[in-house]
Amino acid sequence: MTPFPVAREPGARPGAFAWLLLAPLLVWLALFVVVPALLLLGCSFGERDEFGQVLWGFSLENYARLLDPVYLRIFLRSLGFAALTTVLCLLIGYPVAYHLARAAPRVRELLLLLVLVPFWTSFLVRTYAWMAILREEGLLNALVAWLQPAWAPLGLLYTPAAVVTGLVYSYLPFLILPVYASVEKLDGALIEAAHDLGAGPWRVFPAVILPLTLPGIAAGVTLVFVPAVAMFAVTDLLGGARVPLIGNVIQNQFLQARDWPFGAALGVALLGLFLVSQMLLRALRPRGALRG
Amino acid sequence: MQFKIPSFPGRLAALLLALLPVATRGAGELNLFGWSEYVPQPVLEGFTRETGIKVNFETYSSNEEMLAKLVAGGGRYDLVQPSDYTAEAMIRRKLLQPLDRARLTGLGNLAPEFTGRAHDPEGRYTVPYMSGSVGIVVNTEKVKTPVRGYRDVFQAAHRNRIVVVNDSRELVSWALYALGQPINTIDAASLARVRPLLAEWIKLVKVFDSDSPKTALLNGDVDLGVVWSGEAALLWREHRKFQYILPAEGAHQFVDVLAIPTGARNVTEAHRFIDYILRPEVSRQISAAFPYTNPNLAARRLLTPDELANPASYPQGGKLESFRDIGRAAADIDRLVTDLKSAK
Repeated sequence: MTPFPVAREPGARPGAFAWLLLAPLLVWLALFVVVPALLLLGCSFGERDEFGQVLWGFSLENYARLLDPVYLRIFLRSLGFAALTTVLCLLIGYPVAYHLARAAPRVRELLLLLVLVPFWTSFLVRTYAWMAILREEGLLNALVAWLQPAWAPLGLLYTPAAVVTGLVYSYLPFLILPVYASVEKLDGALIEAAHDLGAGPWRVFPAVILPLTLPGIAAGVTLVFVPAVAMFAVTDLLGGARVPLIGNVIQNQFLQARDWPFGAALGVALLGLFLVSQMLLRALRPRGALRG
Repeated sequence: MQFKIPSFPGRLAALLLALLPVATRGAGELNLFGWSEYVPQPVLEGFTRETGIKVNFETYSSNEEMLAKLVAGGGRYDLVQPSDYTAEAMIRRKLLQPLDRARLTGLGNLAPEFTGRAHDPEGRYTVPYMSGSVGIVVNTEKVKTPVRGYRDVFQAAHRNRIVVVNDSRELVSWALYALGQPINTIDAASLARVRPLLAEWIKLVKVFDSDSPKTALLNGDVDLGVVWSGEAALLWREHRKFQYILPAEGAHQFVDVLAIPTGARNVTEAHRFIDYILRPEVSRQISAAFPYTNPNLAARRLLTPDELANPASYPQGGKLESFRDIGRAAADIDRLVTDLKSAK
């Protein structure tokens, strides 16, 4: 027996009407994603003249410079920071999202609102608030001094730990929301069935809940990891601009060193890295395993 | 009652009339592109009140950023505020247009030492706005040892207690001074010479901040640093424990100027703004908000004795020197500093 066909078969080609509805998105993507990306690519083969203007041409010199150990090391460190941020977001965000989705509807609405409230203020204002908390004569150190004067003051601000704190804080909602969405869709009957078959909570989580919420985790991880690699404002403000990450290096090429072609090559490399990782992710994801 | 549908010429006229405000918006406007934390809001408001010219104010936090945006979006700005060495490069590149000096009635207010400098010897393109230096600021309640030069700042004893401006060329010039080398000759050999010294120094720094280096000092996160003199002057005004010292080895003096880019649309308005800034009572307002060294002598006469006594605004003695345009070497400096910062 087939259910009432409310939706097209997944994977079917969209009709003319669907294309019409998609048109604004496609135009937007073409204008603000595809065209700038092509400009970036074109620029990355150019050269910088003495005054810092772009000389268009075809040279692979900028890509050769990417292999300079200075920039390779920064690339690796950025990936490390982003990976740590993602893992911490997952460890903190997954339980939050899970309980959020399973809470009573009224409580859930309130809690969901609390996750979103920080977005109502500017990102920079929130980062400055972290500076007020972490600085030597700040809130956290005042608390430490009150609890255990011998430990105060802790040097928290302008450290890599402060940078990771700022990154986790900024990107946590981007993990919570997709995981929440997939936990909400989770069929309670499947969990009950697992319990009925004798599985305890330690068995149900890895065997049933985790695989079923994997799409939400994958989306959340992507939403955290990708922007975290390229972030530069947090490293400047909370890290005191001491340890450059790849985002800072790119920003410097455009605004300080005024070497746009090299900045573009760094940007293209970053973009390529994401494309490859997305393709790997797609290839690894099991297809249609739950269907039928 | 019936509406009469207007004829085609009538409709066209109505359409043009509707578009008129858009087309004439350019007149009576000034697109000013200036440093952040440098042009007080009351000065802009006073100018609009008096002349009716609307000021669109956009800011930048480095000369390089200004150049990048100016070159990319040519013709959008009527007035820019480059530092002397950047103005020099812009004049050479024909990015600035000659000023009509007859329209600038207040030029006589300027101190002679700030006019006819190397970047614009005849004063054809630029008018000085404010001047300053890059020097050492010390919280004397925390640092008891005497600090006279760069080498006294970058001591192991001050590890993690130092703030410096996040400007690669400044960093390199301090190391060149400390080694007794000329600061405007930058090539592979001079960068190789400063490298070991700079590597040591960068390890000791806690914060790199060009926008507001005073914050880390005020908050007690650091005890000394090398910062813009205007920032040090604000700190001194806040508390006398913050002392400003011109480094014994020599210090960078900058003169930031007002200049009109080639292709500016509102040239008349730009001249009127420059002339407005040259007025003593207006220039005095700028000094009150951002206490850099005022090149306007008539304005200086209006300052309070306290303002004039601020050692960061009006430092005594010292060996001061301008930056010159170094062209392509800027990219080499950036690579060196990026390398040293990421090595720790």
